[in-house]
Amino acid sequence: MAAKRIVIDPVTRIEGHLRVEIEVKDGLVADAFSSGTMVRGLEIILRGRDPRDAWAFAERTCGVCTTVHALASVRSVEDALGIVIPPNAELVRNLMFCAQYMQDHVVHFYHLHALDWVDIVSALKADPIKTSEIAKSISSWPKTSPNYFAEVQKRIGNFVASGQLGIFAKGYWGHPAMKLPPEVNLLAVTHYLEALEWQKEIVKVHTVFGGKNPHPNYLVGGAPCSLNLDEANAINAERLALVGKLLAEAKTFVEQVYIPDLLAIAPFYTDWASIGGGLRNYMAYGDLPKNGFGDPSKFKFPRGVLLDRDLSKVYEVDGHDPRQVTEAISHSWYEYSDGDQAARHPWEGETKFNYTGPQPPYEQLNVEGKYSWLKTPRWNGHAMEVGPLARLLVGYASGNAEIKAVVDMGLKKLNVPVTALFSTLGRTAARGLETILVANWAQEFYGDLLANIKNGDTRMFNGEKWEPATWPTKARGVGLTEAPRGALAHWIVIEDEKIANYQLVVPSTWNASPRDAKGQRSAYEASLIGTPIADPEKPLEVLRTIHSFDPCLACAVH
Amino acid sequence: MQSTSLGRVYVWEIPVRLYHWLNALCIVVLCITGYLIGQPLAIQQASEASFSYWFGWVRFIHFVAAYLFLFNFAFRIYWGFAGNKYAGWKNFIIYRRKQLKEIKDVLAVDILQADNKPIETIGHNAMAGFTYFLTFLAFLFQCLTGFGLYAAMSKSWFAQLFAWIVPLMGGDFAVRQWHHAFMWFFILFAIVHVYLVFYHDYVEGRGEISSMGGGWKFIDKEHHPVLKKQDSDKAGPASAANDI
Amino acid sequence: MIATSRPTIWEHAQSRGVSRRDCLSACAWMTAMLGLPATAVPEITKALETKPRLPVVWFHFQECTCCSESFIRSSHPAVADIILDKISLDYTETLQAAAGHQAEEALHETMTKYKGEYLMLVEGSIPTAANGVYCCIGGRTAQDIVQEAAAGAKAVIAWGSCACNGCVQAAKPNPTRATPLHKIISGVPIIKVPGCPPIAEVMTGTIVHLLAFDRVPQLDGLGRPKAFYSRRVHDTCYRRPNYDAGLFVNSFDDENAKRGYCLYKVGCRGPVTYNACGVMRWNGGVSFPIQSGHGCIGCSEANFWDNGPFYHHLPSFPGFGIETTADNIGLAVGAATVAGVAAHAVVTNIRKRHLIREEMKTSEDVKDGRAEQGGE
Ligand code: HEM
Ligand code: HEM
Ligand code: NFV
Ligand code: SF4
Ligand code: SF4
Ligand code: F3S
Ligand SMILES: [Mg+2]
Repeated sequence: MAAKRIVIDPVTRIEGHLRVEIEVKDGLVADAFSSGTMVRGLEIILRGRDPRDAWAFAERTCGVCTTVHALASVRSVEDALGIVIPPNAELVRNLMFCAQYMQDHVVHFYHLHALDWVDIVSALKADPIKTSEIAKSISSWPKTSPNYFAEVQKRIGNFVASGQLGIFAKGYWGHPAMKLPPEVNLLAVTHYLEALEWQKEIVKVHTVFGGKNPHPNYLVGGAPCSLNLDEANAINAERLALVGKLLAEAKTFVEQVYIPDLLAIAPFYTDWASIGGGLRNYMAYGDLPKNGFGDPSKFKFPRGVLLDRDLSKVYEVDGHDPRQVTEAISHSWYEYSDGDQAARHPWEGETKFNYTGPQPPYEQLNVEGKYSWLKTPRWNGHAMEVGPLARLLVGYASGNAEIKAVVDMGLKKLNVPVTALFSTLGRTAARGLETILVANWAQEFYGDLLANIKNGDTRMFNGEKWEPATWPTKARGVGLTEAPRGALAHWIVIEDEKIANYQLVVPSTWNASPRDAKGQRSAYEASLIGTPIADPEKPLEVLRTIHSFDPCLACAVH
Repeated sequence: MQSTSLGRVYVWEIPVRLYHWLNALCIVVLCITGYLIGQPLAIQQASEASFSYWFGWVRFIHFVAAYLFLFNFAFRIYWGFAGNKYAGWKNFIIYRRKQLKEIKDVLAVDILQADNKPIETIGHNAMAGFTYFLTFLAFLFQCLTGFGLYAAMSKSWFAQLFAWIVPLMGGDFAVRQWHHAFMWFFILFAIVHVYLVFYHDYVEGRGEISSMGGGWKFIDKEHHPVLKKQDSDKAGPASAANDI
Repeated sequence: MIATSRPTIWEHAQSRGVSRRDCLSACAWMTAMLGLPATAVPEITKALETKPRLPVVWFHFQECTCCSESFIRSSHPAVADIILDKISLDYTETLQAAAGHQAEEALHETMTKYKGEYLMLVEGSIPTAANGVYCCIGGRTAQDIVQEAAAGAKAVIAWGSCACNGCVQAAKPNPTRATPLHKIISGVPIIKVPGCPPIAEVMTGTIVHLLAFDRVPQLDGLGRPKAFYSRRVHDTCYRRPNYDAGLFVNSFDDENAKRGYCLYKVGCRGPVTYNACGVMRWNGGVSFPIQSGHGCIGCSEANFWDNGPFYHHLPSFPGFGIETTADNIGLAVGAATVAGVAAHAVVTNIRKRHLIREEMKTSEDVKDGRAEQGGE
């Protein structure tokens, strides 16, 4: 049987503009091509600007993982100029980081990923009493009365009956790959609505410290909010109490809604524990410093690389090493001054558009040539998967006790071996499992912050290197972090007080990039190979694996 | 050059002199308060905000001076039609070949330091007139941008007349930036202007400095046919002078 | 406007167990939020009782999706209530279940079935360089898609600074020639809701206004709803008394910052920015940038990205270092002028000394001879 080309564009329930083209042969994906179809040129726009302003530009890379680019940006400048921020500022950044993870992961699970597994229409056939029983059996979350579920069912029923299906129109309802019983579907749909209400609460942590969400404010050298317990105009006991309450409620939601739902749905889809594994290499830059960003050994998420799924050896990652991280453009719509086969370290990175694709409107990309706006990053020449799974695997392999405990708990509950993690299901489960950790760590950081203040330390900003006159004429830095979708870094070159070069290498760039000059596939493309496709007209299975990465294309291309 | 016969000419009428000094005062005040608005002093600590209002006062003075400045300027435009011929609008617009030549001469004498030539103009020389024309444009620009900004802060109908300027110029930020930058035009003008007044007084000895006080200038009759004629007619100096 | 065979918003609410009393109080609340007099309550109530859900399509072009994210943060009305009960959000890449062909089908169905009736929401700017290849969806350019969709739209809302002004991708040198919506389409009313992103309740409030009154809210000269954009952040800023008193933060986290003084000297753009942050605040009224210690960066103003550096009151002068403002240049030119004037005075004295001495001599003569004119 000849291969059939299937195009999915737009891939929805993601951030940004992703196009996936697959070749299906004998009901399986034989080849896959992932393309980012929108570019803005932020790296070009950042040149020549004040490095202290960069975070604001960089933050606009993405409004979904808002804050993470601002964090990478201020760290890159601090690295270049040798600025060490006060402990309180580090803690505030950590708390904002944790809040971002909880919001982003929950929204991904319910609003971006769930409809790949949950059939809204089937939920209408559910018995609310049974749903209530299931809900009570898996969680102590209070909203579990049969009436409550009946109300939601009625609401959705009326919605469907109105004939205006809105965001649910033309979904893959009744698809043979949908396996959940109606009652579990109803439970998930109910929590879809609850999570939508909840997610707007946890982001208030950003609002307290950064003034707004999306896109809270950051500051090179610390955090912009001042601490003053005796002032209504500053971070005081009331503000801290609000943060404390938000973090506690978020932890409850994660523990009583998100994780129980994840663990209730997963057993129906254990076949996905052997589909969608893809690459065999994983990378994490690590983050959540306990002892300042200068001490990676005390990061909550450890740093490292795993090769060939070998959990016995963790390789070191160094953003300053000019050979480790490089970007290639042999299949990307850019050009390099020394030829398109070259790979460049981001400090020497170049961003120059060179569109060679078909003129729109087009049916198919020319995948032999350049076919995406994403560059192709590599670590020592290897393609890497980054993201929650990579973080947990690196932590697991590093022997981190907290991470090991939570991973083992998950594996035990699902009754699968650790190798099951190398899959679509593993990726989705890892995201949930790390959220448990993050919810706990947020409590810890909050406690640390209070303790620090109690000890009389109210510093939030180190202004020693604020004035450009104190800077060297030339400086280079890298800002590493772990965004919700994986390892994120910004590389900056400062010359004469201005940005001479700025390069972002983003988690979704690692995962969603086109193949490299040697033909090595990146994570999305690799993970799709071999995926069974029941109905080529409704490629739900492709969405499942792609969504398990939580794509963000505005990030990936920038 | 022999300054043997000096004639006294009544050049600057009272309204022009009043205008001039009020204008000078407004500009000094606007520059000082404007600069402070752009770069407020760094006061480390003070009493509660509600007990002090100094920055509010700075701005208030700026706005009061702004109104004075605008109406004074409007008056001067009116006087360009109603006043004597030294005050007339024709002095400010270069439209005769003679004026161009005069500009060349003035530049030659003042900048290239050529020898002084007999001075024919009694009021502004053409160069001065043209420079004042540019300053008038700057006045206009500063009033438009200033009142444009002020429209957002004032409910008065008058300020609202200028509200259209801000969107036209691309928003408040851009307008403030222009308004601020133009302050430097005024500062530079004042330095050069005051110097030149002293310079001309010194070099030409025609009482330039005091002319903005009493209104009189002193003119060498030998080189000035009109005054010569006037002298022989024994007529009042200002009334007879024409076509200069 | 829309066939009434479909249930109205009120019927819809009723069918999910909302009592008429709840509905009335919600309407009263909404009226207050929109800044309308109490007499408008019956009108808004009636409107919600008689209207079927408005078909809405939401496009994403060159953007970061922060506008969508902000939208779902709305606390009143809650976003689920809007998308389930008030509008029919038939196309939105971020949330819709269908993908690829199915998503495009959903879009085209709405565009044909409700031609002239649907509301079109646009998030992101539209690149016009290189024939539009910098943003393609389903193999078509953003420019192509937006023009087709606008032709059948009843009204258009431009979400955020991207759609209103081009935002960050239009900052210099604007490599993709990112263009705001109003420069691409015409012939349909456009409501601009700028901000990076706009406040959630400003977004939903604008939609509620359209739904309840079936007309475009009153707009200012730049096409923004007056209700939310008629005042500068500075005019509603709670730190304003400090500004008037001349109490300023001089550097971050200094004593004055800890007291919550005005952020003007660390670059606050509140005095040149029109937005509702000071009044409505963010995320259910928790805070806004200034309250959390950072100056406003002017995110709802056109070109705010090119008005940097953000921590200076004045922008830097293009072509110079980042610390070079109009004042630095003015001071330099002023000093040069003073020097020039001094030099001129010296040269004049040397060059014309002879002349003046002669002149002095003559005047001595005149004095001695009691000049014929009789002077003094
Ligand atoms: C010689 C004339 C003037 C000079 C040199 C001058 C100078 C200035 C300067 C330097 C600023 C500070 C701008 C900044 O850095 O943001 C300013 C602000 C301002 N000026 Fe003027 N100005 C003049 C005339 C006017 C006039 C005629 C008006 C009319 C009302 C006006 C209204 C304003 C306003 C409204 C502000 C902003 C004040 C605030 O936001 O607090 N100015 N001016
Ligand atoms: C900030 C300070 C000053 C400003 C802004 C200023 C502005 C002006 C302007 C606009 C004119 C044109 C008047 C008209 O024709 O309507 C003028 C003329 C004149 N000003 Fe000033 N002036 C200033 C200070 C002075 C001072 C300190 C003096 C003398 C001590 C002076 C002496 C004169 C004289 C003599 C003229 C007539 C000059 C000529 O036509 O060549 N000014 N000034
Ligand atoms: N990829 C990506 Fe992001 C994340 N997480 C950032 O670095 O989503 Ni918008
Ligand atoms: S307006 Fe700002 S926040 Fe909204 S999409 Fe554009 S860049 Fe993002
Ligand atoms: S903080 Fe900003 S908006 Fe508030 S008063 Fe000061 S300058 Fe105005
Ligand atoms: S930066 Fe934007 S969020 Fe408000 S305070 Fe300023 S308009
Ligand atoms: Mg990049």
